[in-house]
Amino acid sequence: MTSTRLLRRHLLTLLLALAASGTAQACGRLTLANMNWQSAELLAQVDRLILQAGYGCQVDLVPGDTLPTLTSMMAKGQPDVAPEAWINGVREPMLKAVAAGRLHLAGTALRDGGIEGWWIPKFVADAHPEIRSIADALKRPDLFPAPENRQQGAVHNCPAGWQCQIVMANLFKAHGAAAKGFVLVDPGTAAALDGTVARAHQRQQGWLGYYWSPTALLGQYAMVKLAEGVPHDNAEWQRCTSVAGCAAPKPNAWPRAEVYTLVTDRFKLAGGPAYAYLARRSWDSATVNAMLAWMVAQQATGEQGARQFLKTRPELWQAWVDPAVAARVRAAL
Amino acid sequence: MAEHAPAPAPAPAPAPAPAPALQLQGLGKRYAGAARPALDGVDLQLPAGAISVVMGLSGSGKSTLLRLVNRLVEPSAGRVLCGAVDVTALAAEPLRQWRQQTTAMVFQGYALLPHRNVLQNVAYPLRLRGMPAAEAAGQARQWLQRVGLAGSDVAWPAALSGGMQQRVGLARALAADAPVLLMDEPFAALDPLYRREMQDLLLGLQQQLRKTVVFITHDLDEALRLADHLVLLRDGRVVQQGDPAATVLQPADAQVADFVRGLHRGRLLRCAALAQPGGPVPGAPVLAASATLAEAARAMLDAGSGQANVQAADGSHLGRLTLDAVVRQLAA
Amino acid sequence: MTTGFPALDADTLTALKQAIDQGFLAFSQRHGVAIETAFTPLQRLLIGVEQALLATPWPLLLAAVAALAWGASRRWPLALGSAATLALLGLFGLWDDTLKTLAMVLVATALAVAIGAPLGVAMARAPRLQRLLNPLLDLMQTLPSFVYLIPAVMLLGIGRVPGLLAVVVYALPPMVRLTSLGLREVDRDVLEAADAYGATPWQKLWGVQLPLALPTLMAGINQTIMMALAMVVVAAMIGVQGLGQPVLRAINNQYFALGLFNGLAIVAIAVVFDRIAQAWGWRLQRHRQPQRQPGHG
Repeated sequence: MTSTRLLRRHLLTLLLALAASGTAQACGRLTLANMNWQSAELLAQVDRLILQAGYGCQVDLVPGDTLPTLTSMMAKGQPDVAPEAWINGVREPMLKAVAAGRLHLAGTALRDGGIEGWWIPKFVADAHPEIRSIADALKRPDLFPAPENRQQGAVHNCPAGWQCQIVMANLFKAHGAAAKGFVLVDPGTAAALDGTVARAHQRQQGWLGYYWSPTALLGQYAMVKLAEGVPHDNAEWQRCTSVAGCAAPKPNAWPRAEVYTLVTDRFKLAGGPAYAYLARRSWDSATVNAMLAWMVAQQATGEQGARQFLKTRPELWQAWVDPAVAARVRAAL
Repeated sequence: MAEHAPAPAPAPAPAPAPAPALQLQGLGKRYAGAARPALDGVDLQLPAGAISVVMGLSGSGKSTLLRLVNRLVEPSAGRVLCGAVDVTALAAEPLRQWRQQTTAMVFQGYALLPHRNVLQNVAYPLRLRGMPAAEAAGQARQWLQRVGLAGSDVAWPAALSGGMQQRVGLARALAADAPVLLMDEPFAALDPLYRREMQDLLLGLQQQLRKTVVFITHDLDEALRLADHLVLLRDGRVVQQGDPAATVLQPADAQVADFVRGLHRGRLLRCAALAQPGGPVPGAPVLAASATLAEAARAMLDAGSGQANVQAADGSHLGRLTLDAVVRQLAA
Repeated sequence: MTTGFPALDADTLTALKQAIDQGFLAFSQRHGVAIETAFTPLQRLLIGVEQALLATPWPLLLAAVAALAWGASRRWPLALGSAATLALLGLFGLWDDTLKTLAMVLVATALAVAIGAPLGVAMARAPRLQRLLNPLLDLMQTLPSFVYLIPAVMLLGIGRVPGLLAVVVYALPPMVRLTSLGLREVDRDVLEAADAYGATPWQKLWGVQLPLALPTLMAGINQTIMMALAMVVVAAMIGVQGLGQPVLRAINNQYFALGLFNGLAIVAIAVVFDRIAQAWGWRLQRHRQPQRQPGHG
């Protein structure tokens, strides 16, 4: 009995010593969420390069989608960092976790937030200047033919399982699009959705549906966001617009999508200067769109895009780090 | 001459078409990559309307020979003449029609269609020709009756024993109503008693149908029982051909002699083979030319005579036979 | 010396990728409309079958399934079980999705058999064709579908046709291979007998080879149905409606129960089809099982 207690005490001392040393040194090993859309991938790679070269961290990238990643962070404390967390869809559980001190909002990843909405190709907007809002577009099913039935118009929904799928379905009902001769088309995945946009541009056909910024696609194809016609009504949003199967949705506008860098409590305590970097790191949609467009043109991976960013936009990222760190990062490029 | 067998079950026999003679001229077959040819320089005259038995041990090329006749195997050299038709020179479609009309085959493994019942199997050659189902079924039933399988119409091959399956195979070949019958060791897979029954059946049918039969076997007893004309093959070459009894009595070489040594000559050889020319011996027992040597020996011993008179089928005197000669043969 | 393999430099690879992309875009622009028009009858067929199924009142559909199962197997437990399984799916709110998936699987299977069986017959006869086709079949079975799905969407638009294409591409090889195998494995003795009695090549094919290859052919159809069902979720990735869509949502949202229900629904359909097909196959060949009478032959 006594020997076990002694052993436990020794172990405890050892652990405390280790923990203490952890906070004093460089950040050690950390896991970074590498989410499966382009802007998130780019940011994750930028973070990885800077953290590894500048702060001597060892960074492991963990792939995942928004909800699985956040669930994992809340439940298991892994991964340590979600660089580009779009929190609108998970606001409730996330706020609870922050209140409980398990997660922290380190900084604003996208300074001007993400933009979601109904978009149309620019060539359609140019040819039909009278179409400026969703209601205008819904008057013209002939301009936005459905893939399987030319007699009808199509509104392209967002990928399966994303929160916007529920919102789009409600908005579709709210605007009475079905009665106006439209169908809501499910593309299934983001890649398929991109495929439909690409095809529409190739065939010079009209396209109407959900899209978001910042994305490579918007860097590639000129698109115009339609005005919602109403301001964002948060109460309505909570009550109905973002609730699946809501009975009588009313037209609503998307809120600005807040995009933060989320970290776990453990990392905040142990991260040191690495945490400070993440708190300062922030960029805007224009920058991201431009980088993504470059990546598409070059068929580049996230890592190649990150390197290009670090090489070509030093004025942006050097503001996030100390000069010594900046020098180390430059040397590693 | 082939022996007389007990008469088969009575049924109207269709008038047989005159069967052609088969001539194999310089026939040879070499398989790619083989050390020696499967068959080499085979010259055979197989008489019309008779049973020719081709005999040999395994590897002698007898199955190949049979398949060269209807070109299931293509010859490397030589010709096959069936009556006036040069089978080797036929193109694909005429060959197919020739097979349909002129030949029928019975296989060692029965080769019945497992997804058709007995009646459909027997009717198969007729249906291939385009005969309507009802008519073909009627004829098939007749042949089933002749081979002793009346009433088995709707049985499936998988439910039959080997012997019954071979009867079906035989009925099928007969239903084809072809003048040439090719038989590839058809009774080899059957038990000895059953084998005898089937041989009797074949002999009985042949009496009425008079087809040109080419029968392959490795069993000398069977060969001697059935053959009107006997051909011995060894290592792809013809070693001896001709009258079956002559083969036994005058083997072409030491190997053949060795081969025939194990025969029960008493039951297979006839008096006619040993009869010596000479006038009738008074007081000696009279033997039919077709009686076996065993019967002859018994008759002479019972009569206490050392000689006997051999009589042909029509009653005329053929020759005389000594017990001495008979015993010498029996002891050979 | 570095341990990495000396790869082509990044610029060459990028240029190569871009060339391929441009090539595809050019092809799509030139022939896209024509290809799309060519597939329109198929699209109509799919939509027609789906609407027919959805329009049928559910008791009628259950009865039809039970009748099909009984007709194939002549076994009451199977007929009742099939109908009960389908009813269970309806009870859990999966009726419409099930029917949509069923429509896709039925059309895909019919197509795969219609194309695959003749191809298998041709392959069995010509070893050269077999050598040519085998790598292509391997490709069809192992190339990740998403690789050609997105280009298909760009060519044909979103919807049922690219989904059907993906399912057929995946489900075709087993049908082709098993048909070819079944034909080549037919008892040589029986084929020899057919030849000896002067059968034409057609008579041999229809009268002997295909009937005797039937067990393997049935296995081929079975595998085709299984593959088609397995592809349902992949087809959902380009918007095909049915049981795959909820599975996608479940994956994206970590709704375990939703994914489980729909996944099990797919399994249930697979099992029902499999049992019916096997029972039918067994009935077709029960006469080929040896049931020797005891005693003499």
